[in-house]
Amino acid sequence: MTTLRSSVLRLLCWAIGIGFVLYVPFVLNTRTVFGYRVGNMVLLNLGLAQVDLMLISIIGAVSLNFLTGCAGLISVGHAAFFAVGAMAAAAAGQQLGLPFAATLIAATIAGAIAGVIAGLPSLRVRGLYFVLSTLALHFIVVFCFAEYQYAFHDVAGVTMGDATIMGFELDNNVKWYFFLLPFVVLVCVMLQSTLGLREGRAVLAMRDNELAAAASGIDVRMLRLKVFAFSSAIASLAGALQAYYFTSVSAEIYTLDTAIQFIAMIIVGGMGSIRGGIAGAVVWLLLPSVLVGTTVELKVLPGGVAQFLVGHQPQMVNLTFGVLVAVLLITAPGGLAGLARSFAARGSRQGSGV
Amino acid sequence: MPTIRHASRWKALLLSGAVLCLAFNASARAANFESPQDGVYADHIDWGMTADMSGPSSGAQNPWGQGFQDAVKVVNEKGGVGGRKINVLVEDTRYDATAERVAYEKFVSQTPALGTSGMGNSSAQTAMVPLIKRSKLPVVGTYTTAKAAVEPPTPYFYGGFCGFKEMAQTGVGFFTDHLALKQPTVALVHLDVASGKEYAGYMEAAVTARGGTFKAIPIKVVAADATPQVLDILAMKPDFVAIHGVTTTSILVMKAMLQYGINAPAFAISYLGTPTVYDGLGPDAGKNYYFVSCFSPASSDLKVSVALSAAADKFGHSALKDDVNYVAGYVIGNMVADAIGKAGAEPTREKLSAMLNTGYVANTGGLSSELKYTPTDHFGLTALKPLSFDYATKSFKSYGEYADFGKYLQ
Amino acid sequence: MLMQFLASGFMLGSVYGLVALGFAAIYKATRVFNFAQGMLMATGAYLAVTGSVVLGLPLVGTIAFVVVAAGTLGVVIQWLLIRPLAGRPLLAMVMITIALSIILRALIVIIFGGGAQTLRLGLPEGSFVLGSVRISAIHATAAGVSWLCMALFMVFFRFSKAGLLMRATADSHEAAVLSGVNVNRINATAWALGTILAAIGGVFLGQLQVASVELENIGLLALPAVVIGGLQSIPGAIIGGLLVGLIEQLSSGYISPKARDIFVYVPLLIILLVRPWGLFGERELGRV
Repeated sequence: MTTLRSSVLRLLCWAIGIGFVLYVPFVLNTRTVFGYRVGNMVLLNLGLAQVDLMLISIIGAVSLNFLTGCAGLISVGHAAFFAVGAMAAAAAGQQLGLPFAATLIAATIAGAIAGVIAGLPSLRVRGLYFVLSTLALHFIVVFCFAEYQYAFHDVAGVTMGDATIMGFELDNNVKWYFFLLPFVVLVCVMLQSTLGLREGRAVLAMRDNELAAAASGIDVRMLRLKVFAFSSAIASLAGALQAYYFTSVSAEIYTLDTAIQFIAMIIVGGMGSIRGGIAGAVVWLLLPSVLVGTTVELKVLPGGVAQFLVGHQPQMVNLTFGVLVAVLLITAPGGLAGLARSFAARGSRQGSGV
Repeated sequence: MPTIRHASRWKALLLSGAVLCLAFNASARAANFESPQDGVYADHIDWGMTADMSGPSSGAQNPWGQGFQDAVKVVNEKGGVGGRKINVLVEDTRYDATAERVAYEKFVSQTPALGTSGMGNSSAQTAMVPLIKRSKLPVVGTYTTAKAAVEPPTPYFYGGFCGFKEMAQTGVGFFTDHLALKQPTVALVHLDVASGKEYAGYMEAAVTARGGTFKAIPIKVVAADATPQVLDILAMKPDFVAIHGVTTTSILVMKAMLQYGINAPAFAISYLGTPTVYDGLGPDAGKNYYFVSCFSPASSDLKVSVALSAAADKFGHSALKDDVNYVAGYVIGNMVADAIGKAGAEPTREKLSAMLNTGYVANTGGLSSELKYTPTDHFGLTALKPLSFDYATKSFKSYGEYADFGKYLQ
Repeated sequence: MLMQFLASGFMLGSVYGLVALGFAAIYKATRVFNFAQGMLMATGAYLAVTGSVVLGLPLVGTIAFVVVAAGTLGVVIQWLLIRPLAGRPLLAMVMITIALSIILRALIVIIFGGGAQTLRLGLPEGSFVLGSVRISAIHATAAGVSWLCMALFMVFFRFSKAGLLMRATADSHEAAVLSGVNVNRINATAWALGTILAAIGGVFLGQLQVASVELENIGLLALPAVVIGGLQSIPGAIIGGLLVGLIEQLSSGYISPKARDIFVYVPLLIILLVRPWGLFGERELGRV
């Protein structure tokens, strides 16, 4: 009886969730809910472009979370892999004239190869030294990107071809949303199921105790390279998608800051779980808008305070994020996903007590 | 967290209800024109503005944004445009292409605006040309103008700052004549980024057109020292030097030139003609430092800058009125108000862009060179003049009128 | 030409070395890899602006103000952010320093605005010629003061009781705790010293150009410097700083300024692969 009810409930939840995900782009695009126009703040000051970019960031964040949270390899090289993806897609599309879909595959393969190369230092060093090797990698890749850009493209940026798939051009945000969504789902499902496989369990074992993992017959070195290649292939794919979304990208956009933001995302969301990566990307990409919108709404506050907040909006947003990361690190190492889990656990404990 | 969100949602609902009631009342009374999808309402017009207010170029773009907003505030105090106040929707884009795009799309449909200004990121502009053509939200008065955005011109993009090509031609022309040179030898110190490469191209063309010798010397955006660059300059013995970069670039290069006893004059791009640079240089290194600009700092022409000074003093920006970036924002703010007025009593995006596209001349009150758009040219400003700072009188000094230097442009 | 590059590289490298030394002091005592070192350096420049421009202090007063304020800041950082994370994994430690630099940057821009600030302390200007090399007085002062600070630090670290305790704690945290050393106080001292050294570096770099938050990116060059020299080695940090300064000047002078990144980070990568403990460090765990 209870199992039936709960399974129906679960089905209902899924249906509502899927309905929501499918309906959201139309709401954000037309700014109407079932035909009624709604105010900007009702939609939390969010736009569809932000959501599309968030989807791309989710792909990046979950792949980094797989590398850092699940395999224990800290990397500040994620912006570099985005750059590798963009570069490979541009080279395949513009120099070789391959179609859009093929360039995405090329970007993924290039990312995997770059990942193996970038992962080589992991054979010799780990911990902090490995972080530093990815830092060096970042600067080297960005240098190469700039050289490639100036050699083969305009100084203003690397131009990407049209994103056309079987005669269907991705030329607005709604189309992009429905194009990106399957990628996000696919990547998340793939990573989740990988964790369930023997290899995935070996990855977790390696993170938790490397010596024990090695003793039980896992080739730790090979595994690390595989994980790195896997994660950077996904990041490169995201980088290629981002480049096509922008239509033109410049070396200047791949900053160390971008790489650090990905780490911040997984810390905020929660390390070591797919859910954490998603939650982090959602918060990191959407919260600024909500905060900015709220400060505008706060005009009702006494004159000086409101003026100060509105006048220092961008700094206030940065400050909030810095403090958010610090507070989460100190008080909730599991991030938002961890908080939600402990919240749910407490809820069910109380429920069972009644 | 959820409670806060709820509260703001309720507040927003209440607010939008109130706005609806107000709008209804107003329309019942005067049957005023409204076009919410264009950001035009009975009593106000929403206008977008993006600038880097917390990122790497915020030092220059913040003054621009302040100037823009101060100009609009003055317009609003005088009753606005056609009875409507202009409400500037400000977005900080942190010199980030992603943020620039999100902000533009926001002004398209989320909080619709009649048009948008600023967009001081040429890489983002280049990437956004297809989007702008599709969305048809006019970008009017930019802080920088990417070549791809105006060549060929689209009805939805209008520049608002002096161009790199014109800076190079004016600077090279002026100094060649001023120093009575036949074939100038010119060294350029430029940033090793996209805009620096572009400027180096224009400089080389301008120098070689006069049969001179040219050398481009790159420097990093984040530099701690300019010794290698200045030693290059020393070896070349140029007649004059050109500088493209950020505040730090000018200061490092000029100070190092002083240190090595290079007495050649240097001229910088418009963005670097700020009190901050002159202040950082001090009189010894600053006496050889010039810049070319299509905007006049307040103290360079006290007759034309009365209104600008009054606005800057009134809104607490007195320190900025000698900053060409502030002046530029102020001029563009006024131009936007004027252009909206000229788009008719019932302005829409379509009417505004059609009006600008058929030809428009702004009245900038002498604060800048002629600012006009023609069907074939959406660049806006072309003429520049050389300026420098007089440490004795603490004021900027110009070396002629804008019209005097039109001859150097090709 | 070469002598000139070497001279300017040496002077710039001295300032980098100073910042890197502060970095190494923090790392050695607390095992925190401080990504905020660059921002602490920028903070030093702004502290000098506060002292000289806002408070109108004379040169000596400004220096005293910078040292006291930076020391206090270091202690506050250790107490507020680092102490609660004691014993947590590497990523948390790295990320907290990144959060720190985000917070500091936002605070600086809120207080001083985004634009650059002119910093003029009344230090000697002008230049003099030494052999075939022309040296600016301000560069020479910066280098001289940097070496003086480094020497003072070495003396403190070698011969003072606090320095001895610091070395003991760095060698064995557990042993130090067991023998009743107040590890928290040692860590706070290390953070105070590290922040002061970064701040002094920032004062000079701010004086050479302007005080702005973008100084952070110059300060970040202390990272490769300290790793090339050896994370565990105090002299290594100084020599690493000098090397980075020389590499920067020579690569800008003979190849292209863009090449700096390549010539700094490729050796870093090679060192990590071949000799992860750095040129002067001692072999330690952290390798496979």
